[in-house]
Amino acid sequence: MSLTRLRGTLLGVLVFAAALAVWDVWPRGEWAAFYFPGVDHIGRTAWDVWPSSDFLRAVGASLTRLALGYTLGSLAGIAVGLAMGASSRARSTLGPTTEFLRAVPVIAVLPIAIVLLGDGDAMRVGIIAFGVFFPVLVAAVGGVRAVPPEIRDTAALFRLGGVERAVRVYLPSALPAIFAGLRTALSIGLVLVVISEFTGRGDGLGVAIWNWQSVSAVPEMYAGILFLGLLGYVLNVLFLVLERRVLAWHYGAIGERTR
Amino acid sequence: MVDGECSSITAPLRRLNVAGWVFALGLLVLAEGAVRLFDLSDSVAAPSAAAGALVEATADGSLSGEAATTLGTYAQGLVLAIAIGLALGVAIGSSRTLEDASSILVEFLRPIPAVALVPLAIFWFGSGPPTTRFLVAYAAAWPILVHTAYGVRGVDRMLYDVAATSGVEGAARVVRVSLPAALPSIVTGIRISAALGLVVCVTAEYFVGSQGIGDYLNDQRVAYRLPELYAAAILTGLLGLVIDALLRNGERRVVFWAGEEQARRR
Repeated sequence: MSLTRLRGTLLGVLVFAAALAVWDVWPRGEWAAFYFPGVDHIGRTAWDVWPSSDFLRAVGASLTRLALGYTLGSLAGIAVGLAMGASSRARSTLGPTTEFLRAVPVIAVLPIAIVLLGDGDAMRVGIIAFGVFFPVLVAAVGGVRAVPPEIRDTAALFRLGGVERAVRVYLPSALPAIFAGLRTALSIGLVLVVISEFTGRGDGLGVAIWNWQSVSAVPEMYAGILFLGLLGYVLNVLFLVLERRVLAWHYGAIGERTR
Repeated sequence: MVDGECSSITAPLRRLNVAGWVFALGLLVLAEGAVRLFDLSDSVAAPSAAAGALVEATADGSLSGEAATTLGTYAQGLVLAIAIGLALGVAIGSSRTLEDASSILVEFLRPIPAVALVPLAIFWFGSGPPTTRFLVAYAAAWPILVHTAYGVRGVDRMLYDVAATSGVEGAARVVRVSLPAALPSIVTGIRISAALGLVVCVTAEYFVGSQGIGDYLNDQRVAYRLPELYAAAILTGLLGLVIDALLRNGERRVVFWAGEEQARRR
């Protein structure tokens, strides 16, 4: 079993290496070499660019915006989601408005936010928060609505007030669902950092990539985009580690039930 | 629905979710009042102005023409994505070796968001619809590929045995057994791709800046025509809602038997 697994992984690595090799040695003229630099060229550029202080500062600025916008959007999403999940009146009242706003692609909100907040940090954090809000909201509503009736009844029996019930009963019970939404929201957030930075002012990973585009620094662009992919991968792994810690009790409970 | 059920006048009202629409309307009235009272029309458009602009720009063709362009580019990209996603998904889903071979390549490429490729794609395809088409196809191909591979891998082996006894093998087996059996999963993948594709399409247009609603949005911002800007944003949201409703409806019709099947297996 593990031998076939190993063979599979080995095959994957081989094909990946072969793809890189084909990309590298594919015969190309001057024109194509400009648009599709070789692996070694991109690699050397990444080696130079990634540790440079300018690039690291840009990445830091982007991550700060992501952290702020993500936190704001998630907290708002959880709060409204708890309310909408717990009360059918809140759900029907806010339903049509949130359904419509959710359907508007963030890119349509971006120019509106630029007019309102300017082409700076406030706009970028706001855009990230807006995009993060909805997946978290949907996950939280679903999570609270799935709370088993016996838990609801117990909460009612103890005569817990609305806020206390939401925070102490519904929140923990809906947490696994909320985490699923938070994870989706994280990758959306990363994309939105870059999109909101493509508008070009200030610093940030998106600004850097866009500026390289405008001066035709092609290998640098590849390096920047690769870094973005890597960043998304690392953030996702970190999130899973955090999730496993926070939800350890939950997995424990599931394990016991299936045992 | 039986006629007798509609006899009560309040029944449709109860279904209409009065509270929800009153809330939405109240927000709009509040926004309208605030914009007029505090003279905010320099930074936001009043709902009435946006609605007027929406009607006008749709009627005179300026916005509706761009919307048609967007839908055209979007449809072409989506068709490409379906063709590529289905072909690769079937291949990867039916062969363990191909699945292993492609695994690391797929895991490497998939986390790179399509819109991050906008600057590169402009280099490759220029600043026009081909760039947008490519980005839509690239973004939308992934969910279809993954869902197709997943669906094909999960096909009941017994179906293949039955097909073999009837002499159905090779390409015919893919068309007559694998694809129909994997259809529920494939259709879900297409629905996810279609929603994602529209977002990527408008986003790409915004930054590529040649045609379409995305470009229109950016132009209105630059020209500081706020009612038109809001109108375009509203239209984009409406397009998303309509496409999503159509796809959900289509999904239910195409795989009407899927729910039954799952219920029977349980």
